[in-house]
Amino acid sequence: MITVKLFGLVRLETGIRELQIEAADLKQLQKELTQYIPREKIKGCVLLLNGSRAAGNTKLHDGDQVMLMPPVAGG
Amino acid sequence: MESKYAGYMGKVMLVDLTTETVTEYPWSDKERELYLGGKIMAARILCDHLTGKETAFSEENWMVIATGPLSGTGAPSSARFDISALSPQTGILASSNCGGSFGLYLKRAGYDAIILKGKCRSRKWLEIVDDQFIFHDADDLWGTKTGRCQELLAGKVSTKKFGKLCIGPAGENQVLYAGIISDERASGRTGLGAVMGWKNLKAITAAGTHTVEVYDKEKTKAWIKKWFEYLQKHPLTGSQLPKLGTAGLVSSMQACGLLSTRNYSAGQFEDFDKVSGETLAEEFNITNKGCQTCPIRCARTVEVHGKQVKGPELETLGLLGGNICNNDLQKILDWNYELDELGMDTISAANTIAWAMEANEKGLWDNGLKFGCVEELSAIFEDIAYRRGIGDELAQGSKCLSEKYGGKEFAMHAKGLELAAYEPRRAVGQGLGYAVSNRGGCHLNGGYLVILEGLGLHVNTQTPKAKADFTMLFQDLMETISASGQCLFTSYAFFPGFLLTKPNGLITRAVNAAATHIGWAVRFMNKCPRALALHLPVFHHTKMIKLALGMPMDFGRYIAIGERGYTMERYINCKFGITEADDKLPKRLTDVPQDPSNPKTRIPLEKMKRTYYAARGWDHNGIPTEATLHRLKIK
Repeated sequence: MITVKLFGLVRLETGIRELQIEAADLKQLQKELTQYIPREKIKGCVLLLNGSRAAGNTKLHDGDQVMLMPPVAGG
Repeated sequence: MESKYAGYMGKVMLVDLTTETVTEYPWSDKERELYLGGKIMAARILCDHLTGKETAFSEENWMVIATGPLSGTGAPSSARFDISALSPQTGILASSNCGGSFGLYLKRAGYDAIILKGKCRSRKWLEIVDDQFIFHDADDLWGTKTGRCQELLAGKVSTKKFGKLCIGPAGENQVLYAGIISDERASGRTGLGAVMGWKNLKAITAAGTHTVEVYDKEKTKAWIKKWFEYLQKHPLTGSQLPKLGTAGLVSSMQACGLLSTRNYSAGQFEDFDKVSGETLAEEFNITNKGCQTCPIRCARTVEVHGKQVKGPELETLGLLGGNICNNDLQKILDWNYELDELGMDTISAANTIAWAMEANEKGLWDNGLKFGCVEELSAIFEDIAYRRGIGDELAQGSKCLSEKYGGKEFAMHAKGLELAAYEPRRAVGQGLGYAVSNRGGCHLNGGYLVILEGLGLHVNTQTPKAKADFTMLFQDLMETISASGQCLFTSYAFFPGFLLTKPNGLITRAVNAAATHIGWAVRFMNKCPRALALHLPVFHHTKMIKLALGMPMDFGRYIAIGERGYTMERYINCKFGITEADDKLPKRLTDVPQDPSNPKTRIPLEKMKRTYYAARGWDHNGIPTEATLHRLKIK
């Protein structure tokens, strides 16, 4: 089971902080996430696997954590 | 002197606080073309006046309060004004920007800027109404916190509508990092509140009957409409900042290892989500609000002590959150309000507390402060403002304290000004910016390279390549934005929206990969601004000036004005002895990798500095060369 944590506007707009998803790789994970989050919102986020940016075909393992982070700026 | 350009009121007044007399300070269109207004105008005035022998608490420390020419024209986010003087924290030039109402009303009074010299013989507040400058006794205002002071002023001024700024007890008692408050906004950094307090000046109000003229009314109106729409559609200025505020950065900073934690000993805080912008929005935020004429509206409104007040920005969340190991968000809301009421810089106050916690832990100073133990902090902040007990020492800031007690290696400041919440070992360009920033450890005056290094885009964060050139470009752009009276956040829409809404897209990935290899192109832009005699579709600022003021402007000229301002500020600082040796960071950031297994996670400062100086036309000692000073028309 993969823990997916949402941040930024995707969290505010869906009301979801965390999900538990079964997926073999990031690509499959993103597909599964469309059940909860609009596809274009997922595309608008950076996916971090256990703290590091990862590509779509990266394999996932039980206990992994994926964060959905939006680009931001401030002061 | 009257101007042929619209936007300007045509008068700069020199106010002698000692004799309570006012004269006009000469300022011509030639100066307006070279310096625009705001902080660069202030830098020119102070450059001409300061010799290098003055100190912050002296009558010769002139304080310049300057507006920008776009303020009052209706341009987006154009209500900002600048306060400049010598800083008691750093001993060098300070400039601090503010979004409160004072600047707009100063223009309604008929002035582009006022210069305060000397010192009031007794406690005063100054009322400006059109051509009248009236000094009032301030005995009944002295001692009040900033909110109460501003309430009392409403009952004293002769006009219903007015702008105001004031100091709180921290400024009165010359806490080195005391700020100045205008409405609920702060000119927070560099201790200018202490300068005002030393001058015995509690507050200034401004009101008047003048209007700000616009050059081409129709085209200006159309351009403003177009720019408003662009900002409102942009993912940063139209979504993230209005809906989450700057608080929305906490989670992303955590993810990137940029969130200063335990006095910058780490870049991630385990409990970050308890103090994140998302939690603030979900559980505490009542509404968002903005400065006048701003479509971005990034400020939060929260409840503190039963009142609806302005909520904290990212800096306060980070530095009073993970950096002191506090995970109680309500406490941060309370402290933010209390520090504003006392008139103190939240960044320097928080950083000084963090240093003190570590100093206590290491046995250097027995002050009773501990990471994570924050119940007494409200009382400590009051003690700082009133200079009581350990508060009297904490009022000196981390630099002075570390010189007294030891612990310099973890006193997290540059040139005496405490660093912002961005832990830079995972964004080395930001580290360069902190070190070379003219006013000290400032993330914005330092160029805000984190927007490339993980927050907006995601270039290689650990390489020094191209970072010096980007730092210079961003510093210069921001310099001119401030000088025009606008908010720096208008610059974030410079990044085309698709780069941010498709962070994994082919083009964004290509930009991220290429960015650190195109330092030569950025260097060309910096060196040859005349080649950029155009308006960029993503940078609306240049056409705004052309249409609203009637002043010739393009992207190249815009950068050139910023470069002039930045080097002039450096030139002033060099008069006070600043050299390459002062462009440094605490050893924690340059010598200790954030990740012990990755030696690259520290700041390769020296290499970047050399490139930066060369790009700026400064010598190896960080001093602007004569050729550069003449090229930029500073000399």
